[in-house]
Amino acid sequence: MSPLVEHQLAINRREFFSHGASAIGTAALASLLTQDGFAAGSPVGGLTGLPHFAPKAKRVIYLFQNGGPTHVELFDFKPKLKEMHGQPVPDAYFAGKRFSTMTGNPQGKVMLAPVEPFSQHGTSGAWVSSFLPHTAAIADELCFVKSMHSDAVNHAPAISFFLSGAQLPGRPTMGAWLTYGLGSETQDLPGFVVMTSVSKGTTCGQIFYDFYWSSGFLPSRFQGVKFRGNGEPVLYLTDPDGFSRTMRRGLLDDLTKLNELKLREFGDPEIATRIAQYEMAYRMQTSVPELTDFSQEPQHVLDLYGPDVKQQGTYAYNCLMARRLIERGVRFVQLMHAGWDQHGSITTELYNQCRDTDQPSAALVLDLKQRGLLDDTLVIWGGEFGRTPFLQGNINDRPKWGRDHHPYAFTMWMAGGGVKPGISYGASDDLAMNVAEQPVHVHDFQATVLHLLGIDHQRLTYRFQGRDFRLTDVHGNVVREILA
Amino acid sequence: MHRIAFAFALLVLGISPAVALAADGPGPTEQPVHFGRQILPILSDHCFQCHGPDARQRQADLRLDDEAKAKQSRDAAAIVPGNSQASEVYRRMVAVDLDERMPPPDANRPLTPEQVALVKRWIDEGAAWSGHWAFEKLTRPALPRPETFTEQVDSPIDAFLFARLAREGLTPSQAAPRETLIRRLSLDLIGLPPTLAETEAFVSDGSPDAYQRLVDRLLASPAFGERMAWDWLDAARYADSNGYQGDGERTMYPWRDWVVQAFNHNLPYDQFTIWQLAGDLLPDATEEQRLATGFCRNHMINGEGGRIPEENRVDYVMDMTETMGTVWLGLTFNCCRCHDHKFDPVAQRDYYSLFAFFNQTPVDGGGGNPQTPPVIELPTEEQQSRRPQLTAAIDAAANDLDAFELTFFPRGEGQAADLSEKAAALPDAIKAALKLPARQRNRGQLEQLEKQWEKDSPEYLSHIQRLRGAIDARDALNRSIARVMVMADQPQPRPTFILEKGLYDKPRDEVTAAVPARLPPMPSGAPANRLGLAQWLVSPDNPLTARVAVNRLWQQFFGIGLVKTPEDFGVQGERPLHPELLDWLAAEFVDSRWDVKRLCRLIVTSAGYRQSSAVGAALAERDPQNRLLARGPRFRMPSWMIRDQALAAAGLLVSRIGGVPVNPYQPGDLWADITFDRKHFQQDHGEALYRRSLYTFWRRIVAPSVFFDSASRQICTVKHLRTNSPLHALTTLNDVTYVEAARALAQRVLLANPTDAKERITAIVRLVLARRPTAEEAALLAASIERLKHEFAADPAAAAKFLAVGESLRDPSLDPIEHAAYTALASAVLNLDEALNKE
Repeated sequence: MSPLVEHQLAINRREFFSHGASAIGTAALASLLTQDGFAAGSPVGGLTGLPHFAPKAKRVIYLFQNGGPTHVELFDFKPKLKEMHGQPVPDAYFAGKRFSTMTGNPQGKVMLAPVEPFSQHGTSGAWVSSFLPHTAAIADELCFVKSMHSDAVNHAPAISFFLSGAQLPGRPTMGAWLTYGLGSETQDLPGFVVMTSVSKGTTCGQIFYDFYWSSGFLPSRFQGVKFRGNGEPVLYLTDPDGFSRTMRRGLLDDLTKLNELKLREFGDPEIATRIAQYEMAYRMQTSVPELTDFSQEPQHVLDLYGPDVKQQGTYAYNCLMARRLIERGVRFVQLMHAGWDQHGSITTELYNQCRDTDQPSAALVLDLKQRGLLDDTLVIWGGEFGRTPFLQGNINDRPKWGRDHHPYAFTMWMAGGGVKPGISYGASDDLAMNVAEQPVHVHDFQATVLHLLGIDHQRLTYRFQGRDFRLTDVHGNVVREILA
Repeated sequence: MHRIAFAFALLVLGISPAVALAADGPGPTEQPVHFGRQILPILSDHCFQCHGPDARQRQADLRLDDEAKAKQSRDAAAIVPGNSQASEVYRRMVAVDLDERMPPPDANRPLTPEQVALVKRWIDEGAAWSGHWAFEKLTRPALPRPETFTEQVDSPIDAFLFARLAREGLTPSQAAPRETLIRRLSLDLIGLPPTLAETEAFVSDGSPDAYQRLVDRLLASPAFGERMAWDWLDAARYADSNGYQGDGERTMYPWRDWVVQAFNHNLPYDQFTIWQLAGDLLPDATEEQRLATGFCRNHMINGEGGRIPEENRVDYVMDMTETMGTVWLGLTFNCCRCHDHKFDPVAQRDYYSLFAFFNQTPVDGGGGNPQTPPVIELPTEEQQSRRPQLTAAIDAAANDLDAFELTFFPRGEGQAADLSEKAAALPDAIKAALKLPARQRNRGQLEQLEKQWEKDSPEYLSHIQRLRGAIDARDALNRSIARVMVMADQPQPRPTFILEKGLYDKPRDEVTAAVPARLPPMPSGAPANRLGLAQWLVSPDNPLTARVAVNRLWQQFFGIGLVKTPEDFGVQGERPLHPELLDWLAAEFVDSRWDVKRLCRLIVTSAGYRQSSAVGAALAERDPQNRLLARGPRFRMPSWMIRDQALAAAGLLVSRIGGVPVNPYQPGDLWADITFDRKHFQQDHGEALYRRSLYTFWRRIVAPSVFFDSASRQICTVKHLRTNSPLHALTTLNDVTYVEAARALAQRVLLANPTDAKERITAIVRLVLARRPTAEEAALLAASIERLKHEFAADPAAAAKFLAVGESLRDPSLDPIEHAAYTALASAVLNLDEALNKE
């Protein structure tokens, strides 16, 4: 850390003790801050009584793969698919199922064998295809859940379903629930940070909607803060010329006091959020430059993440940022990478997609492990659904082979944070079409994530318009078999 | 606020006596019960949880969301039309036995006796079902007879709002104080805070119509059109560049200026619609009507090499179709590119039938030309007047050059210069140039000639350069003239096909231009082109256009529409919380001949709008989003308005309307970052820095950084986005725009109040918030000034640096320490939560 940065951090803390405590005193603000100051590592905010029990994981890095990664090509090896390549989908596999309207009725569609070979890896013998050599190499660290299933067939509703438990926008997302419930372990950065990236050269036009990190009806200070992918991650970070940090602190204290008067008079909870966000802005002025300065990262660590790691806006850069963020106490890092929507590019763009994401994802797990952080950090890798084991396109037109959206069986992996390493849980049927064993619904997955963080998903609720809402709606069972 | 009697309000608002009578005459109890508006909400709120669409939750295999199922004869039919006594639904609702009673008492969703009576009457009247509310014909609901809060009911809007509040057991809030009101109203109607004089005048105006006159003044202000234009530009995806990777600059700003004028002239919304969608097709279309069609062509243009022109063209037509769908019909069509809509009554065939209306322009989709024809050229008067001069200069220079060459290239009578002996040894390209009279040589040829003689004949060179300079001057003028892409249909109709999966090269069945089959047909006699489509949109039979427009306007004033999803009035969208109010306003809008200013007046003169926005603890829990409107609107202003407010309070704002877009402050070179160095941000200077936000150059792939939570302007956006992030705080604390505004605000106040600190503080607060500081606030701010002065006095160099932020000059007569301290204070005031909010 540069001496200047260190000095500024010291000022922040000192100023906070001297001004902050007296300035921030109203009941509405009490919940934002703890009584016992800001010692590093102590949680800030959060609900009393939480966690409900001892957590295995303290924080989450969610590597969200937008678009629906093809479980058929990557993880879910089915020899029968090869046998049935080019043959029609057997009726029994899709009876009564709804597919994306691009497919409509799958009758008459033909099966498509995975385009790259699979092999088993590690002592656990996990199946991973040659698309993902780096992931394969750390198979023994991972817990593959191969029996995921979801309710939604289109991207935005399905992503929203994974992140907020509801297909329509408007509910709080997982990161918002967790920072609401557990608070943050840093005063210097937002508790919930979002970064996005897109694979190079993808034709996928997916948009990152801000409701993917919304706080829904929770107070808006719990919404994810998105860092920019180009230029400064946060603009306007520097105080005006001639305006010292001491002056800024003093002026901010005045501003806080004035806003508190308003809050007392008007009762609008958004005012409390505003006060908190201005304080956060102040602290980010010091913490962000230090955060994005990779100069102290050893070369072997940079190499681990691959050639794109220093290029801002790439998945690799974001993966390293994710580690740096959780090291600094951020509760929930949501990293979203678009481009997995291979409707007609299984034999083309899928390669780029894997090239851009495979090494950095694996590097993150290894890097966390070598720093002893993997034990209490939960890493999640997965998309909003899988892809159809049958072909979208013309079997004779290999360059345009594709697969459609498929919510009935797909694979995710998790690592660290109290999850059993080196296992594969659940299974799809012999064509990777439907869940055959130990189904894990999206709500089960959510319940499990909360459980790992020491939360009973049925007891983390928020009353809104006369009803108690929770992330898992009225569903969800913790998948105990995957708990370490 | 002086109360205005209800009847008087009706008079002021110009509501027809027939309507006013309805309020006093037969109430809704005598009208047939309306299923969609009155019964469906009851069933939905109280019954659907267990007897609705969700099969997993369904109890007793009974569903009440489906007419056939609900009326299906079982042991006892749930609903027997015409016979409430035989209907199980009614029997259960009134069952005395609590085990029988529905909804079950433990569900905590009891029905009121009024609701039960309504259900009974509806069944007895025949249990008429109806379809999705927004697709039902618009009929004007009767005004509820004000029974509660009659003292506070000032307008028909209040009659609806307060009747609902009474049903919910809530009470309307008191009227907001006058300072709050004038600020709220000014920001809402012109997007700027009131001046000190305006606030003073309104606060001290004791006449009963003071508020009405304030409303009238603001509606008549030229700034009204600028305020209204912003939301329309978001919807119209207006930008000053094409988007995509190339992101070439375009010159659509005359269209933007037309929008401002259209609002200022109160062009009725039906005309506003017809002109923008089909002005070119009107008989004897004026230039203005053709200009208005620029709306359709504000879409992005893809200039990526390797793109197939037809693919681009199809994209553009889809964008036009979908934008029309969202803006006028409140429907999201893009799913129908590939398949029938899952929820709404729009089939893929309907989509391409609408697409056919827009599929007739001669645009070919090739290249990324930001001025792809058809275009209209709109030179300013000054540009127009310079054109003949520049042409004359070219002619003169060409004649002189010809004359000079007669001696420079000696040759036979009537021969061209290339035949001169002197030219014999010259390269062929030069000879080709010399063969032509000077006037006909192109720029490249002139350059070649220059190169050939740049050493040997300075005199000849100067003649050539003069001609080239004259041509360059003309070209530069031509380039500076705005060319607005507009609509025109080619004479030969282009056939339209359903495109499989929306792919341009997968045409399937041919379709003809038509409106969606499940909406009312086009008016008889309407042509089957865009003009007919536009006429259909604004015909009285169209159930959506007025509802959608009124809802968007409501959103502008209240922060959230009566339908929370302004982009989706379909089945997946939100059912309005005040369906009757929405329908009443929509009917009123149509009957007023689509008078937009009148609709604004109607809303802002309601007591509902004028309520205080203070939030009680109970209300915060009960209705956190203020959907029921038991208090006035309070929400963070759009970022463009926050900027305009700061400039206005500072006295920096340049109020000139319209013209070429400007580039005010922006940190670093954000354009280079994202375009890989192909575009570079060039900041403007002088008054361009202080124009209203509306005129800021909007680069589509990297929007101006001073704005946050803004629409992307890439596709049609009608829903407001409001987040609360530390990043916004950094913008308004540290951006040069705001620091400079604080400095100018401080200067203004210091110059007006030479000594008194208390006066100065009051003036700063009033310029931003309209109100005076409370004693507690004033004391706090006074202490703050003392501390800041002390801090800057200890470091005068810092004060100098701080005061140097921004390009406007400061008055050197002001003491720098004092000026710096007040600048900091003004910055704090501009960052108060109240300053950022419309309260």
